[in-house]
Amino acid sequence: MSSEPIERRVSYIGDRLRGNRCSLCGKEYFRTKDYCGKCGRKSFGKMRDIDFFYEKGVLEVCTIVREPTNRFTKLGPYIYGIISFHNGKVRVPGRLTDCVLKDEEMDISMLEDREVVPRFRRRCATGQSDIIPTISLAFSFADEYYPYQECEIIKPRREYETPGIVGYGVYVSKFRIKESAMERSIPFIDEDAITAAVEAGKMALVHSGVDPSLIGKVYVGSESNPYAVKPIASKVAQVLKLGEEEKLDGIQSVDAVDTEFACKAATSMFKDASALVYYPRSHIPYAMVIGTDNSQAAPRDEIGGELDFFVGYGSSAFIFGMHDVIAEMEAWYSCTSDTPDFWRRDREPYPRHGGRFTGDPAYFKHIQKAATKLMEKLKLQPTDIDYFVSHQPNIRFPIKVATELGFKEDQYSAGLRVAKFGNTYSGASPIGLAAVLDEAKPSQRILIVSYGSGAGADAYCLTTTNQIKGKRFRQKFTVQHQCESEYLEYVNYNTYRRFKLGL
Amino acid sequence: MGSHYPAIIGVGRTKFGEHYETGPEMLIEEAWLKASESAGIERKDIDACYSSDYFLQLTNKIGIEEGFISEFSELHVPMEKTRSFSSALLNACNAVQSGRYDIVLVGGVEKMTDRWDKIRDDLMLLEDPWSYYAGCTPEANHDLMLREYIKRYQISGKSLETFDLALAHISVKNHHHARLNEYAQFQSEISVDRVLKARLNEHKSLGLFDFAPISDGATALILASSGIAKEYSKAPIWVIGSSSATDYITFPSRDDRTSFMASELAMKNALKMADINVGDIQLAEVYDQSTLLEMMAMEDLGFSQRGKAWLHIYNSCTDYEGFYEIGEKRLFVNTNGGLKADGNPLGATGGAQIFEIVKQLTGEAGNRQVNSDKKLQYGCVLELEGFGTKAYVHILARELK
Repeated sequence: MSSEPIERRVSYIGDRLRGNRCSLCGKEYFRTKDYCGKCGRKSFGKMRDIDFFYEKGVLEVCTIVREPTNRFTKLGPYIYGIISFHNGKVRVPGRLTDCVLKDEEMDISMLEDREVVPRFRRRCATGQSDIIPTISLAFSFADEYYPYQECEIIKPRREYETPGIVGYGVYVSKFRIKESAMERSIPFIDEDAITAAVEAGKMALVHSGVDPSLIGKVYVGSESNPYAVKPIASKVAQVLKLGEEEKLDGIQSVDAVDTEFACKAATSMFKDASALVYYPRSHIPYAMVIGTDNSQAAPRDEIGGELDFFVGYGSSAFIFGMHDVIAEMEAWYSCTSDTPDFWRRDREPYPRHGGRFTGDPAYFKHIQKAATKLMEKLKLQPTDIDYFVSHQPNIRFPIKVATELGFKEDQYSAGLRVAKFGNTYSGASPIGLAAVLDEAKPSQRILIVSYGSGAGADAYCLTTTNQIKGKRFRQKFTVQHQCESEYLEYVNYNTYRRFKLGL
Repeated sequence: MGSHYPAIIGVGRTKFGEHYETGPEMLIEEAWLKASESAGIERKDIDACYSSDYFLQLTNKIGIEEGFISEFSELHVPMEKTRSFSSALLNACNAVQSGRYDIVLVGGVEKMTDRWDKIRDDLMLLEDPWSYYAGCTPEANHDLMLREYIKRYQISGKSLETFDLALAHISVKNHHHARLNEYAQFQSEISVDRVLKARLNEHKSLGLFDFAPISDGATALILASSGIAKEYSKAPIWVIGSSSATDYITFPSRDDRTSFMASELAMKNALKMADINVGDIQLAEVYDQSTLLEMMAMEDLGFSQRGKAWLHIYNSCTDYEGFYEIGEKRLFVNTNGGLKADGNPLGATGGAQIFEIVKQLTGEAGNRQVNSDKKLQYGCVLELEGFGTKAYVHILARELK
């Protein structure tokens, strides 16, 4: 049984690692305090809010926990220790995450005194009907897969006439399974669609330099929200402090909503976000769209198990606005039909799909329709387009649809990442778009067409601006890095299933 | 001042271990009947009762222990409940010294094995919740403190091997003592090899044989005011020092993580109250929840210099003669087997520590009576609540000076 007030309080502090600094003596605290223990009542009103969410700490001492308490046993053995921030001004307890310990002798001292970064994760296991506990007292090494990055707010230089993408971020876990031609990303056991959404959003804030308090709306598209009812978007908004913060109430002045349309739940909102920031009376300078999925698939020997060869895990976030745009939104076209090619009934853990029909009347028809209509509308030929990105449920489909539409390999290969990440569902075509933005030059045209079963497709035409290059250096955690990092860790099928099912 | 010291006129305890067939109220009954008998008092003589337990609410769904004590003892006197036995004793001492009561029953009980599958989770209630949320276990802080200690004193290579052996010897020594303790949970010898093997199997610095067990048990004593102690007992044991101190619940937030500030403070204040020096103490029962904590207690209580206790212990244990040698001084530590071998039923543990010092000071410890060159006069007891969050020190004396 979970206690709602406790979960609220622990999450509020622990997800963001909130604390205070006494402006009189400089003493720092993890957890919020109205006064300083050293300075007493004269420090009332003199405590400054701080948090350690974007900070770098040091793992001072640690130990291996091989016999955790009951709610932590699913994590397997893990490293637990003391992490210090700001040269020892604050020390917090923490667990190393993203770490699979082998059953062998281990020199703990090799881990100590190394720099670590907080990671937003599930805290521990819980009952199926309970609130999912989360925390950022989970850490990974700053010099490994997930880098330490400052989150600097940068004053915008230029306002554009057309709305567009201002910044973006991608989060894919370091764990992979490799089978035949495909590598697929898989969550660590304490990850899910919620944690990935927060990580991707964090990366988009790092890249864009946008003041999070100016983000007026956040959309999170997913089909694997671990809650049937309770938005991922509210977690994202609170942890990333989107919108103006109403501190006394612990409320963010932001609109947050989850959307669902199979794999196009996020891309569908690109136009809504663009329209919203364009509409002057909305008074919303920026809107964030996140696509996140711990893509679901039944085990291989069960009905629907074919998907188990293709599903991935990951998230992408895009910030839309009118300032310092890196890719302008030129036009869009969407289409929809009632095609039941893939579905998951309420209370069913895994989706089913229509076998051979998922390709032909479904995927290909909708993508071709949306792409063709948009190109017609803009009077464009395939040769006018520099990059083509489509939904990528497997390797074969996106290549086939690109070829049939008249695109060549050099137009579609940059945005085709399914062979490295698997099908990340709502995150799939957006991650392809992010990969393209990672390398595109100014004034290039990108056509992205998503597909969502059920069924529909969204086509967008974007043109890059000359600001795309300048912002690139702000992001170390690029798609390429996440494809090729030397710290990727490959696991076997059983571990993959265990991680995917999570805590 | 001296004449106002309260005195222990009787002690009693159950065997520690697993009491599958016995409920907590039956255990406490056994302990207090033994204590009353040894004190030669009647129920009607008791003015008040202080009882202690940590987890009866969780383990046995018992919310008001005092009511159970009232029911089986037919007593309707004031009763208060604390967590640790030492806390109960300290409160009882305060009440007796203030002149409010003349005879007080102090009793502690714990029934941990009744909740075997959840008791390690329950033990996390003694840590701060944030450590629990981050994945802490009842043992993890001991490991972290060990890391802090060896880093601070730069113990590595050959010294680290000696350090590891010193801690192993503590466990072996405590089992050795417990073989003569009829009440102990483990009355068998273990070898250094066995301690080391357990560590090796778990790939850890502290293994199964470094930690105190989960136990059931009860202890009790009868405390009397100085004025009437001699009426009941020919050899009352005087509580001449009684003190406690408190530290942050969050271990990582403490400035010094290589000692327990609370233990140090409690000892200082207790010595001051007793008006003796640390060198006068011949016997100590310390809170060896792990072998590391026995070593730590040597430093916190001031017997060993900071950073040196492991050397004193190692040198004493390679040819163990029943005591630690610290310079010229002989110190008898955990002669009942400590928490490691005697057992650690939280709320009753302090009672077993007091029991041992009383038995040794009165010369009634039987075949585990220590072989001291000087007649035993002073002993002290350190009990902790949580991981150094609270420390209680009691100093007992055979004769008042």
